[in-house]
Amino acid sequence: MKKLISKMLVAALSVSMLVGCGSSQKDSVSETVSSESAISKSDGSTLRINIASEPDYLDPALTTTSDGGTLAANSFTGLFVHGKNEKVVPALCKDYKISEDGLTYTFTLKDGLKWSDNSELTAADFEYAWKRAANPKTGVQYAYLFDIFAKDSDGNINVKADGNTLTAVLINSCPYFLELCALSTFYPVPKTAVEAADPGGTNPGAWASEAGFVTNGAYTLQKWNHNESMVYVKNPNFYDAANVKVEKLEFMLSADDTATFSAYNAGNLDFIDSVPTDEISTVDSNVDFKKIDQIGTYYITFNVNADLFKGMSAENAAKMRQALSILIDRGYIIDNIAQTGQELATSFIPTGMSDGNGGEFKSDSYNYPDKESKGYFSKDFDAAEAKNKAVDLLKSIGYKFDENGKLSSETPINIEYTLNVNSGHQSIAEAIQSDWSAIGVNMTIKTEEWQTFGNDRRAGAFTVARDGWNADYSDPVNMLEMFLTSSGNNHAQFGKDPSNPSAPEWNSYDALIKQIYSTPDFAERAKLMHQAEDRLMSTWAVVPLYYYNDIYMCKTNVKGIYKTKNNHIYFMYASVDK
Amino acid sequence: MNNYVIKRIGLAILTIVIISIITFFGMNAIPGGPFDSEKATSPEVKATLEKRYNLDKPIVQQYGIYMKNLLHGDWGVSVKTGRDIWDTMSKSFMISAKLGGIAIIISFILGIILGCLSALTRNKLPDRLIVFFTTLMTAMPSFVLATLLLYLFCIQLGWVAVWSAKSHSYILPVISLALYPMAYITRLTKTSMLDVLGQDYVRTAKAKGVAQWKVIYKHTLRNALIPVITYLGTQIAYIITGSLVVENIFTIGGLGQKFVNSITNRDYTMIMGTTLFLAIILVIANLITDIAYKIVDARITLE
Repeated sequence: MKKLISKMLVAALSVSMLVGCGSSQKDSVSETVSSESAISKSDGSTLRINIASEPDYLDPALTTTSDGGTLAANSFTGLFVHGKNEKVVPALCKDYKISEDGLTYTFTLKDGLKWSDNSELTAADFEYAWKRAANPKTGVQYAYLFDIFAKDSDGNINVKADGNTLTAVLINSCPYFLELCALSTFYPVPKTAVEAADPGGTNPGAWASEAGFVTNGAYTLQKWNHNESMVYVKNPNFYDAANVKVEKLEFMLSADDTATFSAYNAGNLDFIDSVPTDEISTVDSNVDFKKIDQIGTYYITFNVNADLFKGMSAENAAKMRQALSILIDRGYIIDNIAQTGQELATSFIPTGMSDGNGGEFKSDSYNYPDKESKGYFSKDFDAAEAKNKAVDLLKSIGYKFDENGKLSSETPINIEYTLNVNSGHQSIAEAIQSDWSAIGVNMTIKTEEWQTFGNDRRAGAFTVARDGWNADYSDPVNMLEMFLTSSGNNHAQFGKDPSNPSAPEWNSYDALIKQIYSTPDFAERAKLMHQAEDRLMSTWAVVPLYYYNDIYMCKTNVKGIYKTKNNHIYFMYASVDK
Repeated sequence: MNNYVIKRIGLAILTIVIISIITFFGMNAIPGGPFDSEKATSPEVKATLEKRYNLDKPIVQQYGIYMKNLLHGDWGVSVKTGRDIWDTMSKSFMISAKLGGIAIIISFILGIILGCLSALTRNKLPDRLIVFFTTLMTAMPSFVLATLLLYLFCIQLGWVAVWSAKSHSYILPVISLALYPMAYITRLTKTSMLDVLGQDYVRTAKAKGVAQWKVIYKHTLRNALIPVITYLGTQIAYIITGSLVVENIFTIGGLGQKFVNSITNRDYTMIMGTTLFLAIILVIANLITDIAYKIVDARITLE
């Protein structure tokens, strides 16, 4: 009890000093859960849930957060939906055809579809919603997902509705288009309501800013006490309403783990989407503790234009980064810091990512440089061996070492590692600092507030920084196109300064990505994507540490809740055993 | 008195204008913007969003637009969520004000009663107990107290739900908010009571044979209340505008968390809204405090 109280106090203190920004990052507390408290006290009509605090938008197109995506997925539905087994299955779509060239998709909608206000839902609603989301004037952050569409002469994307038929024309054949149709950005929105709430066109999310707005999904929002709770009730007009058993979803709007974990343990909640890092080891073996792999990678990024590499050739700079990568004990980071059994990353594209051709991208069939670990370096770590390899690499590019195997004072390496305020990121930085000090690298840690960090990383105002990416959809191109010279996510600054001799030549990479976009043969396309990853990894500017996974806790008698790899949780097919 | 009030109001407006300038230019000077996220926003979309909220204009012009709208009663919409600022603020303020108001009333009444009791039973058992209790309470920050209350009543005893969508209980947050000011008021009342009790006019009154309760109520308490009122003035302003920690622990949608979250989110309009709102309330509270002095103590002249 003493321990718990002290932990709760520390957590509360940390809240009082600093309030986390994102909805996904939480720190804090708990108590050991006995097996009886792992059973929900709900009578079966209601589920009580915590995912995060206030969502940004409830408009499915405008939301940018995973909690907003989850709320959208349970109150709206698109042509397709993520099934339990990760595959997308038809939802509002009865039937679809793809043209021979793979560019034209013709969808036929189910008959008798209705919005929650009883008005008819037709293909025109999809046409409206897609054009609206794709139009930069609407200000949808995920508008880039529509870049694969062909354009009409009026500048709109090429999508046409005719009664119950929707025709979409793409610019290139795209193996993941049906998966996109299951994302919230592609959900229909009720045109009349949207336009009525925003006559001036300056506040596109206004129609869904309070409870009672029109939806077409399993639930509609009945009550919203801001920063306290949301109550969703079943929508009888949902196309699959017969299979929705739970009448009501109640969301606790809080990002404070002291509160959410306590509420779960006290039986006031049936589902929580996060567990405090310090408590993971205590709940790890509990029956109600669940883990799920995601398609994302935690990595560190080197700025290829950093002063650290000044005067080196691009090859030597890559060798130096490789040496630093070799020294990192990833297993230690996973076991002691990340702690939820994440998979050690040996490549940038994570396990579980589709290859766009019906298979898995990271497989034995591809000839990775380290065949055994299916990646670019070995999974196994031996400190002495790593040190030798790193020293040899650094010696080969002119670094000198003293008799203790440390860098000589003639050729020191001083590195600043930048991260945003977060205890987990901080611990990882400290682990790397200790690994690098084995050969005498002097690493300092610079902690920045989240927004400042985001800005600096984008602008290349760093030497090495923590980084991470969760894929929007299961196709490697989503993670490879980040490194296009023009991409806003190109934190490594590839190609931004072509005159810098220590930065790798990058036009060929840009060309390769463009080629991937336009290759209709998906087997060939998969090969090109492997080439792109090879090219990216050969720079060692991106150093993968582990693949993300995600955890949640759900009472054992609550069945049917599932979470997809892109972080959306489906509550609509849940049921409570009594 | 009227002249004084007019002067004070003029000064108050000036204060608020200065605060608005410092906040507006300060928040724009810190790096990062509301549309920066982990995944980069495309330049076209970002341009649309910046144009929508006038962020593409020179900063002085932005300030001008903001103040002009504000004078027309338009607080704008949140840059982050598109929700109306005034609506969000007034709703969450009502919640904070309700909690804080109850907490202040409880702490004022109990604080004065305990303070008098303590002064009148100086160095006897009730006084000792009260001193012990108030020392403990003033030393314990509200987040410690809130956490202890949550642990005891919600988890150990299970009397109150940590959270419920149906009936949200405000008992624990009110207690967490009230205990500190109550303890402080008790100590203040005691000290100034003891001070006043030693004054000549009180002794004269006692010597004249005025009843004990009358001495306390008419001659002592009114004068002893001056420091309490000074304290209350600003304390009311602080407490009704919400406490981040208590709101977080008990999942209450008050104003305190909006204020802090708006800064981490770079929600410019919300930062301005909450800052000005708090500033206005503080300025008004100070003004009322000064006027209240006059009412309690005729010796004070407001010129």
